[in-house]
Amino acid sequence: MSYEYFMSMLIPMLEGAKATILLFGIAIVVSIPLGFLLTLAVRSSIKPISYLAQTYIYVMRGTPLLLQLLFFVFGLPLLPVIGEFLVFDRFFAATLAFILNYAAYFAEIFRGGLISIDKGQYEASQVLGLSKWQTTVRVVLPQMFRVTLPSIANESVALVKDTALLYAVAVPELLHYAQTVVNRDFTIIPFFLAAAIYLLIAFGLTMVFKMLERKLQYD
Amino acid sequence: MSFIEVRNIKKSFGQLEVLKDISFDVQKNDVLAIIGASGSGKSTMLRSLIQLEQVDGGSIVVDGDYLVKDGVYANAVDSKRINSKMGMVFQQFNLFPHLTVRQNLELAPKLVKKEKTKESSDRSMELLEKVGLASKANEMPSRLSGGQKQRVAIARALMMDPDILLFDEPTSALDPQLTKEVLQVMKDLAEEHMTMIVVTHEMEFASNVADHVIFMDGGMIVESGTPDEVIKSPKELRTKLFLNYDQSK
Repeated sequence: MSYEYFMSMLIPMLEGAKATILLFGIAIVVSIPLGFLLTLAVRSSIKPISYLAQTYIYVMRGTPLLLQLLFFVFGLPLLPVIGEFLVFDRFFAATLAFILNYAAYFAEIFRGGLISIDKGQYEASQVLGLSKWQTTVRVVLPQMFRVTLPSIANESVALVKDTALLYAVAVPELLHYAQTVVNRDFTIIPFFLAAAIYLLIAFGLTMVFKMLERKLQYD
Repeated sequence: MSFIEVRNIKKSFGQLEVLKDISFDVQKNDVLAIIGASGSGKSTMLRSLIQLEQVDGGSIVVDGDYLVKDGVYANAVDSKRINSKMGMVFQQFNLFPHLTVRQNLELAPKLVKKEKTKESSDRSMELLEKVGLASKANEMPSRLSGGQKQRVAIARALMMDPDILLFDEPTSALDPQLTKEVLQVMKDLAEEHMTMIVVTHEMEFASNVADHVIFMDGGMIVESGTPDEVIKSPKELRTKLFLNYDQSK
């Protein structure tokens, strides 16, 4: 196999990897804070807000991501009356679906993290005069983040692989380009290349999270 | 006028009545020790003073202001102001594990009192010096022994300049050697005339350091008076039983 031929496979795949990484980046940056807000909503003492958040999480976790993806990309424009205002760029619509889906998972991870925080932490904050907001931001969040970091890392790697679902809504990404070459040239090499690129991304992520874990270590 | 006046407070957890008509006073600069078996309501009583528990009835007056009047609490602003006169030290220390010793001390003054960095760092070093832990200023709490943690917790409470310190079984999670170093710090505070309420199982500390002792049983104050009266020559049968039991351990 010539070098030129190899590069002619690799370059479009790297182009596709860009879309993969972009989707991953946006989804992770938006869905983590959104997930935390959802957790707060679930724990809210205002019952309707709590029920709404719980229902949302139930629906997002209880239906396939692929279904949600198809719904956002192809389904929304079909809605009566408002549908015509919901015709988005496919990449945008797909990103939205990923964000909303992953926020639900992160919300459950954070909920577990909050449960693990000792009630003595809240009591100590209260007797020192910290407000609820100060307690959340300065005492609870840092500890919750540390506790949930391994689960967040796990979800992040899952997210990288889930980006391959973009294939189903015809947004060109890494797997899409690999499959194209496989069909065109009748060779299996692009699949291995794609796998290598996914592994590389996952490896990078794992390293970043390991470093974060070490940095945030306090016990 | 007493610094703290507690009148007829009541508290139930569901069907269980944990505080039945409790009344007592704490004078400024005094040390009050509260003794009694587990489940006698002494911790709940202490926690009620600083609003970690809500009472169902009765009144609590702190420094002339009602925290609770006949079961009705002061508004949020007033009760926060009243709470700020009190500091609390817990059995389980409750240090913030993600912050260094020094950050543990400086967090609240910076956030609540908007203290300048210089001001609070000077004070935190001064207080760590006082509890003998200046060398641990930059350690994480997980690197400290239980006794050291509790001394940090005391220093953290003192950072807010409370008029009174509440101790909820401060040495119950510690072995005898570590208990000693914590009690020493508390003794030093008593000698500086810090007002303190101490829920404790340390009879020696109660005898030697406290000005007053309250013995609680079954959610009631059974006996109160000077350490000599309550611990050395108790009048009530229940007090005698408790103290004998305790000494025979």
